[in-house]
Amino acid sequence: MKKLINRRRFLQGSLVASAAAAFPLAKNTAAANFEGYPDSMGVLVDLSRCVGCRSCEAACNKEQNLPAPEKPFNDFSVFDELSHGQKRRTDETRYTVVNRHDIPGLKHPLFRKIQCNHCLEPACLTSCFVNAYTKTPEGAVIYDASVCVGCRTCMIACPFNIPAFRYSSAFDPKIMKCIFCYDTRLVKGLPPACVEACPQEVMTFGRRTDLLEMGRQRIRENPDAYVDHIYGENEAGGTAWMYLSPVPFEQVEFNTAVPKEPILNYVKDFLSIVPMVLTIWPALFTGIHLLATKKEKMEQQKKSEGSES
Amino acid sequence: MKAPHRTLLVAVALLLAGTSPGHGQAMDEYDAPTTVTIDSLSELYEPVIFSHVRHTKLARCKDCHHHTTGHQDMNPNCVRCHLHSPESQTVSCKDCHTRQQFYPEQVSELGNPNIYHIDKPGLKGAYHLNCIPCHVEKNAPSHCEGCHAMTDAGREFFRLTDKTPGTAKDKDSRVR
Amino acid sequence: MKTFIENKPAIPIVSHLNPNGSKWALKEKLWLGLSKQEYKEQFIRNPVNWVLIFIFAIGIPILLQRYIFGLGSITHGSNDYPWGLFLGFGLFGMVPLSASGFLLGTTVEIFGRKDFTPIERLALLNGLLGYFFAVVYLLVDLGMPWRLYYPMIVSLGPAAVLFLVAWHVATYLSVQIAEVSSAFFEWIGWLKGKRFIKSITIGLTVAGIILSTLHQGALGALFTYAPTKVHPLWLSANFQWIHFFCSAIFAGLSMVMVSAALCKRYLTWRCDRQFLDNIDRCTLGLGKGCAYALITYLVIKLVGIAHDNEWAYLLTGWGQYFMLEMALAVILPMMLFAYGVKHQRVGMVRLAAWISVLGIIWNRLNTSMICFNWQTYQEIPHWKEIWATVTVFAIYFIVYRFILYRLPILYQWQGER
Repeated sequence: MKKLINRRRFLQGSLVASAAAAFPLAKNTAAANFEGYPDSMGVLVDLSRCVGCRSCEAACNKEQNLPAPEKPFNDFSVFDELSHGQKRRTDETRYTVVNRHDIPGLKHPLFRKIQCNHCLEPACLTSCFVNAYTKTPEGAVIYDASVCVGCRTCMIACPFNIPAFRYSSAFDPKIMKCIFCYDTRLVKGLPPACVEACPQEVMTFGRRTDLLEMGRQRIRENPDAYVDHIYGENEAGGTAWMYLSPVPFEQVEFNTAVPKEPILNYVKDFLSIVPMVLTIWPALFTGIHLLATKKEKMEQQKKSEGSES
Repeated sequence: MKAPHRTLLVAVALLLAGTSPGHGQAMDEYDAPTTVTIDSLSELYEPVIFSHVRHTKLARCKDCHHHTTGHQDMNPNCVRCHLHSPESQTVSCKDCHTRQQFYPEQVSELGNPNIYHIDKPGLKGAYHLNCIPCHVEKNAPSHCEGCHAMTDAGREFFRLTDKTPGTAKDKDSRVR
Repeated sequence: MKTFIENKPAIPIVSHLNPNGSKWALKEKLWLGLSKQEYKEQFIRNPVNWVLIFIFAIGIPILLQRYIFGLGSITHGSNDYPWGLFLGFGLFGMVPLSASGFLLGTTVEIFGRKDFTPIERLALLNGLLGYFFAVVYLLVDLGMPWRLYYPMIVSLGPAAVLFLVAWHVATYLSVQIAEVSSAFFEWIGWLKGKRFIKSITIGLTVAGIILSTLHQGALGALFTYAPTKVHPLWLSANFQWIHFFCSAIFAGLSMVMVSAALCKRYLTWRCDRQFLDNIDRCTLGLGKGCAYALITYLVIKLVGIAHDNEWAYLLTGWGQYFMLEMALAVILPMMLFAYGVKHQRVGMVRLAAWISVLGIIWNRLNTSMICFNWQTYQEIPHWKEIWATVTVFAIYFIVYRFILYRLPILYQWQGER
């Protein structure tokens, strides 16, 4: 917890304080890596268990008071829906979706649930210029619609393409995304609605550290049933929601190109030059100005001296 | 689901070969109830009247009850500790698998260093994880309403109330 | 206008005094010294105005539709493509084209190159309006435009790159208003104000360089938030900000050359001798600067590819598209600039300027839209989105022209200055 605050304070500090020509760069190294709030919660999703019943989608819809879907939640023709060649994704009417993936060489398809992964260092949060996002100590990444300007940078930044925007509204648009049932359940220590609704216990809710241990145990005890990787352990700097899969993750259309470090690390190169430009440029260009106009000044001086004598 | 499948195959193979199961002091199918009404979770679905006697003819005790009936489990992970575990006092699913899962009690329990079974499913998970693979394998009903009929609350939950329900074909098509 | 100027010796207005000795009233200055009837006549006679009316006739209802029924009703903006043309062209394209203000400010005020003074004001105005309309585009695109000031006072997210953009664009807009205001003060005849601005020119110019360096760079750095979405050839996490900054240099210079060429051709009546006589020489001078900026840009683009070892991408279809962009938008104008400057061919330099203006817009659209989500699918903008973009650009054109007609940008104010 302290670490995150340090790190974010540093970044905020470096930009604000640099205006006052002070830049505490040394702090950067102290907070180079944030490994998450201790005891923060997470969910381990085991793809081998999911049968695609869509109970989680129904539960989410009810818990979050989302609008009625086009098709009821036990209509499985949605698995064939494609938009621009892409399977269903989260949008302003659904915070979570389950998609079917036919895997070559596997008798049965796999189902993959998508929702916010609640990163430890969320890209949406670090890219937001009005601080609309908060990573709570419980592990949820929540959003405050009352300060959002609607710039949609969070949607650009999210490596998992999760935040959705209410394009349909002119007067009350906002970002719509899974909030880990933060206000209704997570603060009370309860599992999110989707987890509780799942008949197959595809999702295991618990402390992130315990989940990692559980995930490793499942892999160790059933080495043939899983690939040896927990997606989300390090992806995007670590996420609260993590996945086990019986087949390589790219076959279930996980983005395996997501870096194993926070997205923020890619932006730091630029952030670090800001205080430098702010402090060096004035001196540099004033200096150049003085040098470039020296001749002129000397001539002027000569002239005025000449006229005096 | 590969591991349960394999256990199941082994069990079925043994059954067909006609070998006698387990140890002498183990429970046998005559000690078991004829039917079990599974209703502790019924809200979106009606209770299930589970014909225990019918299932004992299709599978062996340990296929569902692990080692608790005194029959030795074949899963190498379990055998490591339970090779000689005797029959236990309680064999009912709900005696070990909690109705509520992932509530603060269960989460904080994981902090106890003496617990080995850190990955024990809740009651609902235990039922479905146990039943569905075998039902799929044996071409028994494996979609939701094949075992339990939906209640009005369920119809509302799945947003069927204002629309015509999806056809049975749709439902079956997604079951693997 | 030309017809009136032939018949009316009093116009165009270049000083506070009417030739008959009386002072021009502010209202008369606004009407360009024409009667309302005459003003109407020149308005109708100009074919450009009819094109503008056509654009507005369709564009204004589209913009209204956007504010009543939401962005979804006029754009193909989606959850996969949060940023469309309004930002791709309006923000990412307009801002580099508006770098002219700080570039000419620096050249004249800091480097003491007084020989570029004749087009300094045009460059400053070009900068101011470009930024202003980038903000207008933003107001069209933002979900909640009425909260534009939120990052300033309501809720601050100072660790975000966009926060930097917001603050720097806002501050720089004020700086540019101050810089351009000296022309305005001359026009309304408030010399005190002008002298005050003159006294702080160096400060304003240095502030302009700092702010421009940072937010031109910051616009590039915005894309470093999407390392998995923008094609690697258009994104270099380490150098993105300097790629954007460096390309803004030739973009801004080219834009002011294009603007000056258009003024010389179509607004001749408004230009004075000093402007007309010097414009070709200034264009060649700026062309030289552009050639240097372009070769630098080409090299740092290659450095970016080498640094991330992305050579293999060049062999793919995307790589060929990248090389096409480099050839048409960088190497071609670079050659034309170099050849044109060396052989004093102003026409060729102007052609190069046009190419590099279009090239920079192409580059920004590539980065923000075309090569975004390169692994999934490409979004084609809704026609209404394109029309709305053109409409805002037409408003930009009108405001630009309105000011050029009146303020002493292309000519020197006679009398007290």
